[in-house]
This record gives sequence, C-alpha cells and structure tokens, in this order.
Amino acid sequence: MKPELFFMLASLLFSIGIVGVVSRRNLFVVYMSIELMLSAISLLLVTFSKVLGTADGAVIALLMIGVIAAEAALFLAIIIHLYRRSRSVDSDAYQGLRQEANDA
Amino acid sequence: MLELSLFSILALFMLGGSVAMIINKQPLFSAFGFLVSMLGLAGMFALLDSQFLALAQIMVSVGAIVVVSMLTILTVNAKEKNLPDEPYKYRWIIFSALLVSPLTLLMYKSMTLLHEQFNGIDVVDTKAMGSLLFSQWVLPFEIVSVLLLSAMVGAIVIARKKRTKVQER
Repeated sequence: MKPELFFMLASLLFSIGIVGVVSRRNLFVVYMSIELMLSAISLLLVTFSKVLGTADGAVIALLMIGVIAAEAALFLAIIIHLYRRSRSVDSDAYQGLRQEANDA
Repeated sequence: MLELSLFSILALFMLGGSVAMIINKQPLFSAFGFLVSMLGLAGMFALLDSQFLALAQIMVSVGAIVVVSMLTILTVNAKEKNLPDEPYKYRWIIFSALLVSPLTLLMYKSMTLLHEQFNGIDVVDTKAMGSLLFSQWVLPFEIVSVLLLSAMVGAIVIARKKRTKVQER
C-alpha cells in the first residue's frame, strides 16, 4: 500500500468540495461541501501521520473533528435564521446587506 | 492485497457519496450521500491504523453532525418550489470541475513528491493518542473546548426566535 492512493483520494475529495461550493446554490449543499473539504484535509493529516511515523497528525485530526462540529453548529443555526427571514434556502436570495447599502 | 481491495471499496463509497451529494436537488438525498462519504472516511481512518479516530469519526461526524444536518433539513422542510431553481446545474458542475482539475493534479503531484513510503508505525491507539493530547497538545485541546462552548452559545443566539419583533408584527 502506497500513500499516493490516499493523497489522490484526498485531493479528489477536496476538489469535489470546491465544485460543490462554487456551482450549487442550495445552502445545505454548500454547507456539506465545506464539511467535505475539511474532512479531506483531516484524511490528509492522518495519512501524513502514518507516513512520518508519529501520532501528531492523528491528534490534529482529532482536534479538527471538534472544529468541524463547531462549524456545523454555527452554519446550521445561520441557515435556520436565514430561512426564517426569507423562506428560501437559495444563496442568491440573501441580499439584505446590499439593499441596506443602497438605501443609505 | 486485502488492504488494497478495502481501500478501493471505501474510496468508491466516498467518491460516489460526495458526487451524489453535489448532484442531488433534494438536500435530504445530498445528506445521505454525505453520510456514506463520512462512513467511508471512518473506514479510511481505520485502514490508516488510527482506531480511536475511526471511532470518533463515527460518533461525531456520522452520529452527531450528519444527524443534526438531516434534522435541520427536515425541520426547514423546504418545498419543491422553495428550493433554488438551478436550470444549468450540470453545466456549471462540469465547467467548474474542468476549472478545478488542474488544481487537483497540482495538489496530488506536489504531495506525492514529499514521501513515497509509509513508515513502520504501530497502531495509534487510544493510549498513545491520549498521552500526546494531554502533554504536547494540551493548549490546542483547551482552545478547541472553548471554541465548542462559544459555538454552542453563538448557535443558540443566532437560531433563537426574536420574540419582541414577532409580537410587534
């Protein structure tokens, strides 16, 4: 087993996450794509931990799981707040900041 | 050989799940794809000899994050007409995939240049992880705990209904 396969998988997952963030407008899909990118990075960290022969990368990946959980909580709260205001999960529907700037 | 076949199956699950995640129109089906992808990631951690991480991944990512995402999707319960109208979705996905693919190749090539072999390492079990976490990495650990607490408070404040405004209307 070579680490190249894991590198390839991690870069593919990261790119799929970028594609999801860029090309979709559904806020839930954007949120899950960001999570996927973070997960790809933690896979990379664990791979490097095994390549280098230390457990440090695995510890960072464990801390990253906590960061991912915090990000998920905040993002879902923001989605609920935005949906309550405009009844839509379309990321193009939120232009409140722009309109206020135009009014002023 | 067994490792390679396990890797192939898990990688297929992860890639299929993530592609299904970005293609589906309904967010709940996307969440199922995300679930499959996270389960595959837990398997990958186990394949990389990190037992504790595999368990933590299943408990936190699959058990908490994906379930909370699905609950939010079901609570929001956006009807078909409330979902964003994306007529050129596939065109956009293919276009951005073409744009991103050089970046993917660059990442892969630059990472493979770093190291060619796995080191002979014993299994990263809970004991090794815990002793590192509470000696060398204790400050990041505490910072993450404060971050989780503040994220919890922030999520409650953001998602709370503002009663006074509702009554005014």
